[in-house]
Amino acid sequence: MIRLTNVHKQLGGRKILDGLSLEVKEGETLVILGRSGTGKSVTLRHVIGLLTPDSGQIEVLGEEISQHRPENLRTVRRRIGYLFQDGALLDWLNISDNIGLPLRERREHSEKEIVDRIEEVLVDVELDGHALKLPSEISGGMRKRAGLARALVCHPEIMLHDEPTSGLDPISSSVINRLIMKLKGMGITQMVVTHDMGSAFEVADRIALLHQGTVRALGTSDEIRQSTDPAVQQFIHGIVDGPLAREIREDPDSSKNNESEES
Amino acid sequence: MRRTETCGSGRVAHRCGGWSEMSGWISGLGAFLGRSAETTGYGLVLLGRTLFHLPHLLTRRRIRDTLDLCYTYCTGSFTVTAVVALFTGMILALNSGLSLQELGQEALIGRIVAVSLIREMGPFMTALILTASIGSGIAAELGTMKVSEEIDALRIMSISPVRFLILPRIVALTLVTPVLTIFAGLIGILGGMFVAYFQLGVGWMAFQNDGLEFLTQKDVFTGLFKSVVFGVTIATVGCTQGLLTRGGATGVGQAARRAVVVTFLLVIIMGYYITWAVLT
Repeated sequence: MIRLTNVHKQLGGRKILDGLSLEVKEGETLVILGRSGTGKSVTLRHVIGLLTPDSGQIEVLGEEISQHRPENLRTVRRRIGYLFQDGALLDWLNISDNIGLPLRERREHSEKEIVDRIEEVLVDVELDGHALKLPSEISGGMRKRAGLARALVCHPEIMLHDEPTSGLDPISSSVINRLIMKLKGMGITQMVVTHDMGSAFEVADRIALLHQGTVRALGTSDEIRQSTDPAVQQFIHGIVDGPLAREIREDPDSSKNNESEES
Repeated sequence: MRRTETCGSGRVAHRCGGWSEMSGWISGLGAFLGRSAETTGYGLVLLGRTLFHLPHLLTRRRIRDTLDLCYTYCTGSFTVTAVVALFTGMILALNSGLSLQELGQEALIGRIVAVSLIREMGPFMTALILTASIGSGIAAELGTMKVSEEIDALRIMSISPVRFLILPRIVALTLVTPVLTIFAGLIGILGGMFVAYFQLGVGWMAFQNDGLEFLTQKDVFTGLFKSVVFGVTIATVGCTQGLLTRGGATGVGQAARRAVVVTFLLVIIMGYYITWAVLT
């Protein structure tokens, strides 16, 4: 379903991905863990085609997309949903219009079909009753759920989640985790980037730990829990000293790595 | 200290330091020119892609979006344009009127005010007002959307940001600028008439007849043509700077500032060349 093979990427003169190889099978939920700056979000951006690798292959839904031009990515992107960290809702549209935006822009459905579908996903993400509010009038957790609803409205085959529970209270996090589990039950292939260990172990079929632009450890939740790799244990238990500590000094800032290359 | 070690004697060190500073200055200038060329190219490509998407404007949603923006841009600049135009016309009439009065030619004030405002001052001051109020706003709005990943979200949804965001803004500002320019011209002439009548003793009809008699179709079309060019420029520069925003709040502020500075320069330079092309 998704296969990255030996992907290299440099941004701002810094090596972000260094021969990353990863595969996500159909219907699987893969959680990507790793310290800030290890290339987790950059990996998701490669899968959706917002970034192009310097070398290596990226296959999504049976198509090799690593060298596709933006206009040729349209058909692949239509089959993928993406949840941004802050929802990335358009602030001048209410929640209902934000969710309906991709359907209305495609002009493939009648207005009644669109309205029905919006109501359906609003119920799915437990936001019914908030449809007419602006993004600025709802909480961060609700914005994330609205972002998720917008990603789901077009029935994606793949869902990519970029830190779906960051900045949320435990109850809001549980709501998001439950939604991810629900999508898993529907057979949707998912990649979840997170720092939330509880969430990771709850939703993952497999977990990949990224370190210095490559996969350091890969396995099921139990395999990762029982791993003897000191880096894995350090990350899971949040220990300051260990093999991952060096990364702080080497990769101080990941915020600039999320630039899209598409103009 | 390092200079001395590298170059030997103090005299040589001074020369080396001078050369090092100069090479730094030259490389800085080169980098600035490179960035400017890159931004110009991006802006021109953006404008070209907007023109390519022009047929997409003929949908009910895009027309509604564009008209909404026209309304927003008009209402956002209407009052300030009226006040600036009124006082510009008054200043123009007072300055030229006092000089003409010394020559006993104050009756000619109508033509000076009318031609200056319709051909030059109207388009120019409207463009500056729209740059400060709308152009910087477009850059800040798109810049904020860029840093908060909203533009990436549109791309992922297979919605072209050019068609969805840029096209309505460029078209709306291209339509609004001539309308506000005509309005500014008329208000400015009215201001000039007040000063001519109450301070210089020139009758309403004398001012009006002289102004209308001297004003040609060419003056009106020159003014309108300039306003259209300025409208496209303000919107394109605002959109370009917005889409090229990097970083967070600081980046958004820089984008808005650059949009104003670049547009001011372009409006002045293009204004001169259009006048030159029309008059010579």
